[in-house]
Amino acid sequence: MRALTLVLVLVCVALAPAAPAAQDAAAEAAALKREIEQLQKQLQSVTDRLQRLEAQPPAAAQQPAPQPGISALDIARPRQPFGLYQQRGAGQLLFDIGIAGDFVGNLTQKNVEKAQGGSFPGLENRFFPREIELSLFGQIDPYASAVVRIEAGEEERTGDIAVHLAEAYLTLLTLPFGTQARIGQMRNRFGWSNEIHEHDLPWVDRPNVMRNFFGSEGLQEQGMEATFVPDLPFYVEALGGIFNGDNEAAFGAGTLRVPLVTGRVRTFLELGDEHALELGMSVASGQTSEHLPSTILGWEGRYKYRPDGWLHPLITVTGEALYSIRQFNVEGDPNGDGITDTEKRRKNSWGFYVGGEVQPWRRWAGGFRYDWSQFLQTPGLEQAIEPYISFWPSEFLRFRLAYKHTARTTQTRDAFNLNGGSARTVDELFFQASFILGAHPAHPF
Amino acid sequence: MRHAFVILVTALAVIGSLVPAAPAADRIRVVTTIPDLKALTDEVGGDLVEVESLARGTQNAHELEIRPSLMLKLRRADLLIENGLELDSWAEVAVQGANNPKIVRGAPGRVDASRGIQVLDVPATRVDRSMGDVHPHGNPHYSLDPGLAPIITENIVDGLARFAPERRQVFEKNRQAFLARLDEAMARWSRALEPLKGAKVVVYHPQWIYVLNRFGLIQAATLEDRPGIPASPAHLTRVIRQMKEERIRVIIVEPWNDVKLATRVAEEAGAKAVVLASMVGGVKGADSYIGAIDHNVNALAQALR
Repeated sequence: MRALTLVLVLVCVALAPAAPAAQDAAAEAAALKREIEQLQKQLQSVTDRLQRLEAQPPAAAQQPAPQPGISALDIARPRQPFGLYQQRGAGQLLFDIGIAGDFVGNLTQKNVEKAQGGSFPGLENRFFPREIELSLFGQIDPYASAVVRIEAGEEERTGDIAVHLAEAYLTLLTLPFGTQARIGQMRNRFGWSNEIHEHDLPWVDRPNVMRNFFGSEGLQEQGMEATFVPDLPFYVEALGGIFNGDNEAAFGAGTLRVPLVTGRVRTFLELGDEHALELGMSVASGQTSEHLPSTILGWEGRYKYRPDGWLHPLITVTGEALYSIRQFNVEGDPNGDGITDTEKRRKNSWGFYVGGEVQPWRRWAGGFRYDWSQFLQTPGLEQAIEPYISFWPSEFLRFRLAYKHTARTTQTRDAFNLNGGSARTVDELFFQASFILGAHPAHPF
Repeated sequence: MRHAFVILVTALAVIGSLVPAAPAADRIRVVTTIPDLKALTDEVGGDLVEVESLARGTQNAHELEIRPSLMLKLRRADLLIENGLELDSWAEVAVQGANNPKIVRGAPGRVDASRGIQVLDVPATRVDRSMGDVHPHGNPHYSLDPGLAPIITENIVDGLARFAPERRQVFEKNRQAFLARLDEAMARWSRALEPLKGAKVVVYHPQWIYVLNRFGLIQAATLEDRPGIPASPAHLTRVIRQMKEERIRVIIVEPWNDVKLATRVAEEAGAKAVVLASMVGGVKGADSYIGAIDHNVNALAQALR
């Protein structure tokens, strides 16, 4: 009996703390249940919210913020272009990079080499890198883009490579009333071919008239240009520009006190889907280094026939005509009094070229260019004919072979009879190899 | 000089005087880079939009000649809808010549239709031009995959609604109606191609991967050596041998590509060259989005049978 009592007591003692523990466990379970219910409610709430958000169109949050109307104040307001960089992922560039390489080889007569009267003066009978161009281009911010082009090439037969800044400009893209402005150093949009870079030209060399009127590099100036495209049923672009006037061949004053003023109007006619014609007129007016007036007018036309579905045009015809009105000083002794006098003279000069190209296959094209040009100051004129053939193994690689025959009139003797050589009749054979690495923007018409 | 300047100023003044007053803003003027996006925008926008495409259906959308007429279209656009993934990067040159701040990069009038697309053929290794004219962000030819139309049209609705938020519901309603019609057509297309699942085809240019995947067909080879690089004779010989060995009966060719070459290769391999609409309007009868896919599915089903 005593043993039974002892067991009973021991059991009671053992069970005594268990009773509150059981009560605690029940309370804890209830609390957990409440917590789970609360979490379930929260989960349901989050799920509902997520469903609501998913049902909403996502673009408003992801697309760029609406651009405010452009006002003078907007243009003047300082911005934080470097903020854009922080929004980009690591390793991403903010702009595109491209390299274009252009190598030219030319063979001509010995006397032409002596007289340095070929299409690449001083580089006759040489193979040389004409233009290795590093291009950087992209958006500066939502309002402007920029282009920087650095060129390297052989300019003299020493083999030394000259590096220079070819272009560096920004374009304001969001100006009102259908206008845009380009500010910096640029190839001027004068006519069709002047703006085209060497490696993109449809010929090995620049047309004679462009070289004779603007020098071997063409018209390349520092200043600003603005374009205006009115909202019309047909395309018209009007351009006006103000530049230093550094171009030595045509102008040369080099000061904004007497700036080089440029203008261009071009239009475009689409004759069905297959035929297209672009026409334009340009003007550049400034002063020479002698502070005498010089004006060059230009007319351009470009026609393309591209059969429907073709990846390339079958026929392309391009032509430009330039007319120069220029004053210059001539030193002489017209009176025969032994005293050298300086006399102002005026000379009007013409020049033009016309080129045609046929591209029956995607990888092959053949064409010709005919040049006729007077000179800005030198008397006489030159004519040239240049047939060529181009081959593209791919979109980024091109080889070209061309022959050029140039004939100059006798009046040009002083200019093209140098070092005991004569360059009145010039026959040249050209070979050109061009490549593109990386980014390269599409070409306009 | 003075005369020339006077002429120029006069010309500018005349042009300026021709500028019409602010145009009526009752319809949203939309320009798309390719006709597929035009067709979809027409469906979504209905009478509320006026849509033009820069490229035509028969053209190669990779390389479009940048004519000033494209700039003229963009000059008046409220919205530019582009394919993206670098298929139509040429549009940037046209935009820069259009002098229209509403559609410059980063402006709300610029819509990228590829947003949210699960892009295929994204290069997993370093990309360079030795691989041909490869797209570093992946295959951009997604627009004629009917399974992706819901995403593309959603992007279009978002773009239109940014310009006219009060009309979002109308656009969305149009979109749903179009997607319902597309669902019906999808059932028809699936039925037509279901028995041909797993069939192998050769393509001229690798631009069909989205459509082929959608319907369970397999791209076995391309006629191009590499994207954008013309086929070498050795490559064509390999393709012909592969087609014979694997009994591939169809070469898909785009209307702008070399159909004659595709036909010659197909004949050598005992197969057929089938010209499919690479974009809306690419072939006769493919004048709408559903019409273009109808044509492609029927032509493919017929050739594979």
